Amino acid sequence: MTAIQWSDGAPIYRQLKERVVAMMLDGVLKPGDALPSVRQVAAEYQLNPITVSRAYQELADEALVEKRRGLGMYVTEEASKKLLASERERFLTEEWPQVMERIQRLGLRADELLKSANGGTQ
Amino acid sequence: MNAASNNNSVVSARGLRKAYKDKLALDGTSFEIPAGRIVGLIGPNGAGKTTALKAILGLIPFEGELKVLGRDPRTQRDELMNDVCFIADVAVLPRWIRVREAIEFVAGVHPRFDRARCERFLAHTQLKPESRVRELSKGMIVQLHLALVMAIDAKLLVLDEPTLGLDILYRKQFYQRLLEDYFDEDKTILITTHQVEEVEHILTDVMFIRDGKVVLEAPMDAVGERYVEVMVNADSLEAARALRPIDERALPFGKTVMLFDGVPQPRLAAFGETRTPGLADLFVATMKGTYA
Repeated sequence: MTAIQWSDGAPIYRQLKERVVAMMLDGVLKPGDALPSVRQVAAEYQLNPITVSRAYQELADEALVEKRRGLGMYVTEEASKKLLASERERFLTEEWPQVMERIQRLGLRADELLKSANGGTQ
Repeated sequence: MNAASNNNSVVSARGLRKAYKDKLALDGTSFEIPAGRIVGLIGPNGAGKTTALKAILGLIPFEGELKVLGRDPRTQRDELMNDVCFIADVAVLPRWIRVREAIEFVAGVHPRFDRARCERFLAHTQLKPESRVRELSKGMIVQLHLALVMAIDAKLLVLDEPTLGLDILYRKQFYQRLLEDYFDEDKTILITTHQVEEVEHILTDVMFIRDGKVVLEAPMDAVGERYVEVMVNADSLEAARALRPIDERALPFGKTVMLFDGVPQPRLAAFGETRTPGLADLFVATMKGTYA
């Protein structure tokens, strides 16, 4: 039984969805893998099944998982590709500008950064 | 089935009144419980929770309009009990009965009891058919009670402080079994509890009851949208207060937490970090002054 701390900032179904997405990005869940049933997740994490269904529904709407009739939810073949594209997009629009800002604030030059990235510390 | 039961309400209560001596336990209580939901009935001691449950179960006389699964619990209690199950906070299983005998008894009196299902549930516990209730711990008695009740294909399950006095392992297991082996969209569960944190993510709907009146009745999603808690920055206190928070409390290090009802989150975000309040915080704010 894994205790999960949900944060108050976002709805639980979204946090659950993010959790599944993270597992896909980490390769814990691969294309063709089955997701645990709504019931199992609800019982394990002590969530109401409607919350779990809603998270799964959003994953399905984004074509990251698909419903196979009578069998449950499965990670789609294109899930990793889709996720990679959307995560790249998110990095470029959200994270990278912050990193850039910090680089500028610290006055780091491109050659210093490259040297460090190429293992220049050793 | 019944034309009188509007839409798909499992319980429909309007203007319930019940007085004990000169105190009103139910005072114009009205609420609706739709099918396929897990509803928490939450209130301070003496707010009327148990009286409301007793009315639903047809255990007490009262005034007002009440339909449970389309029936009136005052006059159609016997038929109603085919579709309703109840776990009370007090021990109702006789202390001398053996596990095996309890199963036989329920199998004998309840047409919708599935003995094999009950035995399957008990196989996951340490209960033995020959054990007597008086030899069991409180947690094990609840396990037995739950197994008996979950093996009945009822439409409405009423739980009155079901995990009171249980340790955390039994409590967690109780809700786990309920969610994994029992609940589905055709069933409705009504829970009263003081352990608000424990059930808050399990509930689909919540009702707060105070002085015999339902003061909040909403799906949990709607609660998240309607109520916003803001960590108000010191320089925004006056502006935030102008929007009339329903609760305000000061934290160490100069922050103030305010709770707003019905003010859009983007408008509040200007005052500081916003978040969805926990059910416990909401409860405390709503019930302020109850015991004063």
